[in-house]
Amino acid sequence: MNPLAITGAGVVSPVGIGRAAFGDAMRSGALPESFDRPTTFDGTKYPRTRAAEVPDFDASKYLGDKGLRALDRLTKLLVVTARLALHDAGLKRDGLWTAGSAERVGLVVSNAYGSLEAITELDRVATLEDARYINPSRFPLTVSNTAAGYTSIWEDLRALNVSVSDGNCGALDAVICANMLLEQGRADALLVGGAEAMSEAIALAFDRLGALADGAFLGEGAALLALEPLERARARGAAIVATIVGHGAAFSPPEREATLVYGSAESVERAVREALAEAEVEPADVDAVVSGASGLGVFDTAELEGIDAVLGASGGDGCVLAPKRALGETFGAGGAMAMLAAATLLSDGSHSHVLRGRLRASPRTALVTAMGYYGNASALVLRHFSR
Amino acid sequence: MFVTGVGVVSSIGLGKAAFFRALRAGKTGISPVASFDASSLGRQLAGEVRGFEARDHLTLAEQRRVGRCSAMALAASRMAVDDAALDPSRLDAVRVAVVLGTTMGEAEILGDLEHDWIVGGPTAVRRASIPRYGSTLLPIHVARAVGARGMVLTLPAACAAGNYAIGFAADLIRRGRADVVVTGAAELIQELQFSGFVRLAAMASERCQPFDLNRQGLLLGEGAGLLVLESEEHAVRRGARLQAEIGGHALSCDAYHITRPHPEAAGSITAMRDAIARSGLVPADIDFVNAHGTGTRHNDAAESKVVREVFGGRRVPISSMKSMLGHCMGAASALEAIGCIFTLETGLYPPTIGYDTPDPECDVDVVANVARAGKSDVVVNNSLAFGGYNSVAIFARPGLLAPPRPPVSGTAA
Repeated sequence: MNPLAITGAGVVSPVGIGRAAFGDAMRSGALPESFDRPTTFDGTKYPRTRAAEVPDFDASKYLGDKGLRALDRLTKLLVVTARLALHDAGLKRDGLWTAGSAERVGLVVSNAYGSLEAITELDRVATLEDARYINPSRFPLTVSNTAAGYTSIWEDLRALNVSVSDGNCGALDAVICANMLLEQGRADALLVGGAEAMSEAIALAFDRLGALADGAFLGEGAALLALEPLERARARGAAIVATIVGHGAAFSPPEREATLVYGSAESVERAVREALAEAEVEPADVDAVVSGASGLGVFDTAELEGIDAVLGASGGDGCVLAPKRALGETFGAGGAMAMLAAATLLSDGSHSHVLRGRLRASPRTALVTAMGYYGNASALVLRHFSR
Repeated sequence: MFVTGVGVVSSIGLGKAAFFRALRAGKTGISPVASFDASSLGRQLAGEVRGFEARDHLTLAEQRRVGRCSAMALAASRMAVDDAALDPSRLDAVRVAVVLGTTMGEAEILGDLEHDWIVGGPTAVRRASIPRYGSTLLPIHVARAVGARGMVLTLPAACAAGNYAIGFAADLIRRGRADVVVTGAAELIQELQFSGFVRLAAMASERCQPFDLNRQGLLLGEGAGLLVLESEEHAVRRGARLQAEIGGHALSCDAYHITRPHPEAAGSITAMRDAIARSGLVPADIDFVNAHGTGTRHNDAAESKVVREVFGGRRVPISSMKSMLGHCMGAASALEAIGCIFTLETGLYPPTIGYDTPDPECDVDVVANVARAGKSDVVVNNSLAFGGYNSVAIFARPGLLAPPRPPVSGTAA
């Protein structure tokens, strides 16, 4: 693939809003203020399930007061993130285009579960009262691309708008979509990443399954990277944070036909090999792996097994990072936060959430991995950028 | 890249042959809703799929894993693979990807989980059902069924999802990331969506009459349309029968309103022109437009404007399969893509049934009530969606598009 320049980013996370605050948190190892006092639902009902929200998230601070009532939490998270990303990349200043134009800038967003908030709200009315009383202005929110659609309206992004869903791998897959769209001249710049909002339905699901027993927790938030073809980014004099140079994605079936949920080390291995081959990077040159390890034992084990199958002894110092220690599991947004964590690492060389191994000085190449719950996996290679 | 196989689960026929017969005959798939009680809503018609039994198409293990939406997708994928005469055991599985569109995916599984929770509290939620919900799952189930080991991806692009998936699948092949992609879309009618469209005042009470002066709105439908796409090299090497060539596709976003198309339709016009240009063609090359044609006042007026603007004085024939199927949401444009292949293969344009009275706001050449024979070398599949999504794909008779096909350099305005 042609290298893609990351020219900026927006992020709203439990440990910070904006690229600078997020970077500080990754360096300092800051953890969420609270794991067990969600505001979106009564957390005491789910004592086994820790949930870290974006604390005191107030979209009106960024977007003003008008028009917010129609939006759900997922949409607000994404619109704020897009606004931050456009500003950070120098594409917009004070709401006006400074580089690029509405017709040539678009959005590619990953999300795994849609707006369970809106779906549950309408299902409650339909079940406890009658379907004829559901609020028509809330109905579009039940459609999973609505947050992306509203973001295009709020930020006037008209080149294209693509929603992708591949569970925890979606945000990495969004990059491959974006890359092909940019290679074909369909846009000059794309905001690429993912979003996921905290909801009682997700907490209930994980609580019923007892899935978070190993110390994992649920997070929420959104992250969008501004991606542009490297040559274009250079030509406009953009500040380049890092580049993306390779991508891989794979699926492997389980051993037993009856299995539905499993982590596939083979898929991770193939995705990593594909990404490294595309990037023309040798395993020994990978300085760090930003993994999707979240504390879910069987999945983390399979992910590390897949990474080791490629990097093995040659994989630098075997350094594997786990930013989900601070961010929690954010599903469709997780890969986007991992990419931003990797970009931060490559621009300043430090990171706190080391799961394993020793971080090399001045890392130049980072691998990002993501593992789905159904045998899917994706990987990306990021490179340090020096002028 | 070429379409070498298609599979259909629809309200007007199961399988390609039955579906093509129904399109030729102008059959309606609309009937009173049977899967839930719609009596309080004042609307009762939809295009539900009848006579589809998962057990006829799926293994016992598959039946236990999947919900009804995936079951339709999986059955259609088997039909498509059969139609393509693909032998899964001879495929290089890691070069086979699955890219599907849907709006809500396994909506009935989520609906049941939510119902149990709301009525009985958290402990009433069945643990085993939880992991069976997720928009990620459709391509996973299909990949397992057809033996694919490459990328699996869902494009939840609402009512344009099928076209999005096909376009992205074509890009994967075009950029050398896959040799074969099983693509398309699936959707089912669920009570929440039905109620939502009623409450948006978008649903007709009797008929879906796209482009008609007296049109009252849409009716919902459901189904699955799956296609096998192959690179030219792969298809030719194994001697596959080429059903259609995929030309250019194009996207744009209105950034105007969350449910309504832009009245001036600038984004939609740009997308249609871009898709034609990316196929190395000009508007005069287009023989037929398979319309989005929902039957709502806003959509059909805006879409007519697009066609008049793109084709100038020439009255290109246009038709909406939603008059027969209802609006199959995420699956709509995938079934309409298969309708494009019907046109290329039979030389017939599918009819817009229920068309009685021309609307000056929709001053286009509607294929009214009966299928019409006409030149069928290149057809346009147009689709729009909530979120201001516009998506256009071009299908051509194999071998007709001039190499290099199609151009990869940008022509977007």
